[in-house]
Amino acid sequence: MTHLELDGVTKVFGDPEKDGVVAVDDLHIDVPDGDFLVLLGPSGCGKTTTLRMIGGLEEPTAGEVQFDGTVVNDVKARNRDVAMVFQDFALYPHMTVRENLGFGLKRENNDMTDGEIEDRVTEVAEMLEIEELLNNKPGQLSGGQQQRVALGRAIIREPRLFLFDEPLANLDAQLRKTMRTEIDELQSDVGITSAYVTHNQEEAMTIADKIAILNHGQLQQLGTPDAVFNEPANLFVAQFVGSPNMNLFDGTVGERGDAYRVEMDAASFDIPKRLVDTEFATTDVLVGFRPQDIFQGRGKKRGASGPSFDAEVRVIEPVGTEAVVHGDSNFGDITAKIGGFHGLTAGDELSLAIAPEHVYLFDARTEALLKGRLIAERADTQPPADGVEV
Amino acid sequence: MATTTDPDTGPSTDADANAGDPTAEFRKNQSWLFDTTAGTYLRKIVVGFVSTVSLLYLLFPLYWMVVTALKSTQEIQQIPPTVFPENPSLEGFRLVIESSLETGGYAGVVENVFGVTISSAINVDVIGIILNSLKVSIGAGVIAVVLGTIASYVLSRREFRGKNALMSVLLASLMFPGTAIMVPEWELINTLDLYDTHLSLILIYGAMTSPFVVWLMKGFFDEFPDSIIEASRIDQCSSVETFWYVIVPMARNSLIASFIFAFLLAWNELVFALTLLDNQNYTVPPGLLTFVQGFNTQWNVVAAASIIVSLPVLLGLAYIQRYFVQGLTGGAIKG
Ligand SMILES: Nc1ncnc2c1ncn2[C@@H]1O[C@H](COP(=O)(O)OP(=O)(O)O)[C@@H](O)[C@H]1O
Ligand SMILES: [Mg+2]
Repeated sequence: MTHLELDGVTKVFGDPEKDGVVAVDDLHIDVPDGDFLVLLGPSGCGKTTTLRMIGGLEEPTAGEVQFDGTVVNDVKARNRDVAMVFQDFALYPHMTVRENLGFGLKRENNDMTDGEIEDRVTEVAEMLEIEELLNNKPGQLSGGQQQRVALGRAIIREPRLFLFDEPLANLDAQLRKTMRTEIDELQSDVGITSAYVTHNQEEAMTIADKIAILNHGQLQQLGTPDAVFNEPANLFVAQFVGSPNMNLFDGTVGERGDAYRVEMDAASFDIPKRLVDTEFATTDVLVGFRPQDIFQGRGKKRGASGPSFDAEVRVIEPVGTEAVVHGDSNFGDITAKIGGFHGLTAGDELSLAIAPEHVYLFDARTEALLKGRLIAERADTQPPADGVEV
Repeated sequence: MATTTDPDTGPSTDADANAGDPTAEFRKNQSWLFDTTAGTYLRKIVVGFVSTVSLLYLLFPLYWMVVTALKSTQEIQQIPPTVFPENPSLEGFRLVIESSLETGGYAGVVENVFGVTISSAINVDVIGIILNSLKVSIGAGVIAVVLGTIASYVLSRREFRGKNALMSVLLASLMFPGTAIMVPEWELINTLDLYDTHLSLILIYGAMTSPFVVWLMKGFFDEFPDSIIEASRIDQCSSVETFWYVIVPMARNSLIASFIFAFLLAWNELVFALTLLDNQNYTVPPGLLTFVQGFNTQWNVVAAASIIVSLPVLLGLAYIQRYFVQGLTGGAIKG
């Protein structure tokens, strides 16, 4: 039960004066008691380093790590009472699974008897479905089994914090989904504050209370999964979150009555001013739409119409009831996720449209968000049954 | 079609000859040695023959030692020699044990207890030389393992100037024949006033084997994943607990391998032992040499003594060799 705070935390590897690597740059993150924080970002962006600083395995070059308001920078890892799942599992190779699981409890300053520890080990092993493996050494286990032992070693105690470093990276897709749900459930049950590192945006979106998106060691955005999806702070976040990738086109923006007029190479459309919160300080913008928001048909559903265009289908990738369609439009390449794709073949012409509520606008120079995706209005513009699903 | 296909030719190297065989296209790239029955037999025969010859080559000296110990002096000197002893006897062993008891000063005890009088022409205390050798070998092993491990840890975990040069010197010292630096070592032992002490041998053997231990243990530490130590810190271990519960058990095989290496070298070394010690302090190799007495050498006694002095080491190795192999091949980390 810990309120975790990172206050200007910075980590530089090597000599800061010379060619030191800034792995983490002035990070401010506040995780309320019991929250599930996910650190998300591309490889090498400093996620692991951040997690290690929280766990006390790495000392911040600057800034403070606080547990419940107490600065713990100089508290040793073993006194921080955190549990951690390592990226490479780090199981003790000379101990059986049973000993691996029980080791932390044995070393901890608790007054559990050997019998109680044994009971707890069995309980955790059952939860992770590794009871039959208890007498095996880690070397005899598959990657997925090792990963579950590593998870078990963390959750067997009741620490102040759970730290997970890509705990599901080595599992197959099926197991990854079940374990993801299980970690989520477990964390909600015990209510222990957690920090979870992943480079997988889908995993992050499903599991997180709050997502912190990092790039080059800098915090890009800290927010709920909804917020980072609908109102990404900048272009990087918008492109990193959501799948398939957002469609992006150059454009300019001007005012016309009670609407903003967006001009693109091959189309132009109006966005009512009530949909936009920020003042536009620039005329050059990047226009983005998510493949999920594109629907088939002429864009005159309800209210103001957004951009609409024709596209020639290049590739169709079915995913269950929907398909990701890559096509050529007069804007350039476009990716859409649509239903009702049966009967569609490469070479077909599609009429596509987007509701203005769903259009993203970014400052072309700073890449900061000007207009996000509005969900409040979504009910008004809900496309027909064959249309978009997020 | 049937006229051209002959299934009995089996996998042939010639695809054209099997033009009608539907499996022919899977048999294009075949070798006689690996894909025909005859080739397979040839391979098995060659492998078996080579294995047998090497086995004989390795084991024959041992066999000869055992057989010699069981022969009488007469039979040993017979030409041509016999491969199997005609009248096996334990005479050689009796002589060794008697001389050992007498020279060791136990003859009186034996006479009092068993009523047997012992008088032996040879005066070598076999038990004494085994004990001397154990003392020297264990001492050298401990020195090599302790110093070598500490050095290898530093060489593996720390960066400092001259590290590569140091590693090269250590490697070079392994290639040096020990006898090349004999004279300076004698000087050193004399200066330290250690002549005719077992400590002198312990120090020399320890120094001779430490470089090997450094290389072996450096391999271990180089491979040792940091995250395991970090996991133990997260599991609330102090440094001492991490060392004792995690590092030592993981290093066990490598440590055992290092120890055995140093131990065996010390156990077998002759030249330093012969030159630095006086008769009564002899270790096993020079001790055995004293059984060899020119034309009067009783080879059955020498062989019997050799067997007796090998027994402790053989028994120890049989128990421990599994760790030795794992330690040398780095099986420690995989656990
Ligand atoms: N021990 C280290 N020494 C030097 N540089 C490091 C060290 N650990 C990480 N880095 C560097 O810091 C950056 C961030 O690394 P990391 O936190 O592991 O990224 P991530 O986990 O997000 O993939 C990388 O550029 C990496 O090369
Ligand atoms: Mg990482």
